[in-house]
Amino acid sequence: MTEEAKNITAQPSSLPEVSQNVEKIPEIDHSPAVAKGTMAQPLPAAKSAAGKALLVGISLGLFLALLTLWFAPVWREWLFAILPESKFALQLRTTDIKQLRKEAQRLEKRVASLQKKYAAITPRLPYLIVNTSENRIQIMKGWEQLHEGVCSTGSYVLLRSAAQQRQWMFVTPRGMFQIRGKRVNPVWAKPDWAFIEEGLPVPPLGSPERFEAGVLGEYALELGDGYLIHGTLYKRMLGMPVTHGCVRLGDEDLRLVYKNLQIGSKVFIY
Amino acid sequence: MTRQNFGVALLSGLLKPLRFLRQNRQAQIIFFLALIIFPLFIFIVTVVLPVARNPFEASAESAALENSEALPDSTPAEIVTGRRELAQKMAALEIDQAFLQTRLELSKQDSICLIVDLLDSTANLEVKGVPMRRGKILRYRSSGLARRLRRQGRLHQWLATPFVLQEQLATLPKATIRLKEAPKDTIEAAESKGEDLPIEQRDAQFTLQFDRNLTLSVEQAQPPSFSGRLRELWYDLRRNFNEAGDAVAALMHLQLPQHRMWIEIELSREDAKAIYRALPTQAGLALRL
Repeated sequence: MTEEAKNITAQPSSLPEVSQNVEKIPEIDHSPAVAKGTMAQPLPAAKSAAGKALLVGISLGLFLALLTLWFAPVWREWLFAILPESKFALQLRTTDIKQLRKEAQRLEKRVASLQKKYAAITPRLPYLIVNTSENRIQIMKGWEQLHEGVCSTGSYVLLRSAAQQRQWMFVTPRGMFQIRGKRVNPVWAKPDWAFIEEGLPVPPLGSPERFEAGVLGEYALELGDGYLIHGTLYKRMLGMPVTHGCVRLGDEDLRLVYKNLQIGSKVFIY
Repeated sequence: MTRQNFGVALLSGLLKPLRFLRQNRQAQIIFFLALIIFPLFIFIVTVVLPVARNPFEASAESAALENSEALPDSTPAEIVTGRRELAQKMAALEIDQAFLQTRLELSKQDSICLIVDLLDSTANLEVKGVPMRRGKILRYRSSGLARRLRRQGRLHQWLATPFVLQEQLATLPKATIRLKEAPKDTIEAAESKGEDLPIEQRDAQFTLQFDRNLTLSVEQAQPPSFSGRLRELWYDLRRNFNEAGDAVAALMHLQLPQHRMWIEIELSREDAKAIYRALPTQAGLALRL
């Protein structure tokens, strides 16, 4: 007999005590269920236990399913580790050992030729590498480093002018560039943002106010789209991301870059 | 309270809500079935079947190759060893060939790409075939599946073309953009000039998901700061959540979730940061392992 059934049979003996105080409650007769002595018709308590079991089981099962899903990659790795490997671990195209040796030699030659081809890609002329993450430069020739120095690159400032409804992002572009021009004692042709940033009215194009000498250092090397490699008056800022997109160098580094890089030389910025 | 007693008390406390199952066989069966059915289903569709049907495992062609390698039992031991050594050498050469071909293919592109050479312990940023930054891999771990395929000499087929970046998740932003409102006049401009530049000391940890089921995780060698640890925790949660989400999405489309071949590498913080920030969306990857 289940515990619920025991409880039910125990109830009539306790009922009189309760009914003394609560007279209006009709007496419940449980005798038929007990008298028959069978479980052919499930008792309400048993039914509710089954329902509860289903509900709790499903809830816990869903939780376990979520855990299984969460750790599925780990399980899969574990399965890959314990599953037996193929009997023939390495597969060959032929069983003929002479043929295999020939094939290996052919592969060796092919790899050597690819390596040669790959090595030939490196520029022969000196080239410049600019690291915008740490604001450093390297002058390279082939695989050899000729010089290493500091620079300043784009500040990632987004300048917004509400009055003019315009905005500029000061970023040094990444990728491969070429030196398109070299200038000595360059004059800076100030773009609109240079005035807006200073809180000044923007003069018309070609206005003498737009041209400023001496601020770009001794040399400037053009990368295209208005981006330059040039000197700076603010040497204490070197090594920090403070520019409007150009690459600023100290005097000595600029001299070396100017000397080593020719028009057409490559500049790699990352 | 001893540790054992505490354990017993905890267990009985946890099992308390299940007391209604006592001496009720029918409820016990229902409970057990309800408990097991969902985890079992999930285990089969997200673990067993993806392992059994993973796309990297033997194809019809390789099965034929397996048969072709069978040698009679009477074959001398030297020949068997010689063949095995030759096979290993060829497998390594095929990987080298695939790696170089991939790099050459990537060198034709204009964008920055990543070259990861686990045999050489390097992670380089390259553009047009020129290495711009050479990062030293301090430690790495890879999927058991990758090691398995390597032993089977099947890896080169998978490495033969560049991988393309599809998704990225990181503890640091791609760029720390600062918004600056244009000053109204020269006085305001002079005031804003004195503002100090914030020094960025973010920890670097990121995951790159490539096509052909490859996941590359990069961790910094330096221990993270307290805020870095919190970010790392959040990042790990998001990563696992994304993976579980992908599995659910696959199941919703009546497909089996695929096991991703993963590689975890450890770099210095500077290398990790530089690599993450330099990589464009859809960056290419050449891999040697």
